Amino acid sequence: MPDTQWPRYMVFVQEQEKDPWRHYGTVHAPDADMALLNARDVFARRPQALGMQVVPAKLIFGKTLEELENPNWANEEIIGKSENYLIFAKPFEQSPCEQLGQVKANSSQDALKKALQNFPDQKALWWWVIPGSELSASDDADADSMFAPAFEKTYKNQAEYHTVTLMRELHDTGKLES
Amino acid sequence: MANVLADYLIALADDELILGHRVSEWCGHAPILEEDIAFANIALDEIGHARLWLELAAKELGEDPSTFPDKQAFFRSPADYRNLPLAELPNGDWAFSMLRQYLFDSFELARLEALNQSTHTGLSELAAKIRTEELYHLRHTQAWVLRLAQGTEESQQRSQKALNALWPHAQQFSSPLPAEEELNNEKKVPSSSELFSPWVSHQSDFFDEIGLALPPQTNSIDADRFTHTEHLTELLSDMQEVARLVPEGRW
Repeated sequence: MPDTQWPRYMVFVQEQEKDPWRHYGTVHAPDADMALLNARDVFARRPQALGMQVVPAKLIFGKTLEELENPNWANEEIIGKSENYLIFAKPFEQSPCEQLGQVKANSSQDALKKALQNFPDQKALWWWVIPGSELSASDDADADSMFAPAFEKTYKNQAEYHTVTLMRELHDTGKLES
Repeated sequence: MANVLADYLIALADDELILGHRVSEWCGHAPILEEDIAFANIALDEIGHARLWLELAAKELGEDPSTFPDKQAFFRSPADYRNLPLAELPNGDWAFSMLRQYLFDSFELARLEALNQSTHTGLSELAAKIRTEELYHLRHTQAWVLRLAQGTEESQQRSQKALNALWPHAQQFSSPLPAEEELNNEKKVPSSSELFSPWVSHQSDFFDEIGLALPPQTNSIDADRFTHTEHLTELLSDMQEVARLVPEGRW
């Protein structure tokens, strides 16, 4: 069956100046612009965010710890061109996949090799290498309208609502049917 | 106690509340999950704006700002609502809902920019706050309108049909809000008709650019802010049902 879904984009968020970019999740979107808009609504409503980036999921070159044990991984078909690559790693099950830095490399494989040399002690359940030219980022000028309003919204908190309790009372007292 | 600014603010709030309620009806039915969340967020924002305008109206009236918004929303009859009929029309298809939201947001943004210059400090501050969010709404809805207009043959046709149906209603953006003239003389609020002409010329360029045609002849519409369609009655009976069953309920 053909896949009728829009392409998947990986979403990265920087919460505060000192924080690394963190992987937040994925959205479907017809293009990068819409992916940023969707990402804002899905992931940046409550938490604080300074900026957001998206990249088509299929352009991420990823290797798990297990896959790296097979030394042939570096001899697969070369992916990517000479440019800057962003290096991400997920250190533990409970921690987010986050950016460690970036390297200039000739391909995705080359970038990962350099990353493994540059961060020899890095614990990583998996590594991601992302071609810098394929990332789309939110504009700093848009940060106010994209992220700031979400911050002070108490009505996004479930605890602000007594609806569930009230509806239960209504049903119990027979004021509302079904 | 009568208060002209409160009359004006209640009309602004009614637009936001009624449109926000319509948008909320898409919750769980939007074409994809991501958009379901995004459009529901817009609905919440609009309803939140209605609350902000009503809180300011309460202060003008010497009412309690914590109870006044709910009282206005849930215990007024259709005849007392002052929203534009554009806001109360049923959702139609996705193209219709998205285009309506775009038209509304783009005009609202023009009004908010003018309200930000108001000599009334409370009004000017609130306009600035709401504007930040509306900028995002406009970006979102404009992105959709553009893609639907230039997507497939079907999405183009549906977009054109929606524009034909909505454009006559959009003419009412130029009608003054309650008490507008008096407040405009005091430089507290802009004149809707003065905001309207530049807005129309901007929209006409925009629709031209994305390949939609503005309907040449504007049909007159029977309903206005004071005379509503039967759709508002239906909407309110749904929206107000539970609050009226349990007026003392805590939400």
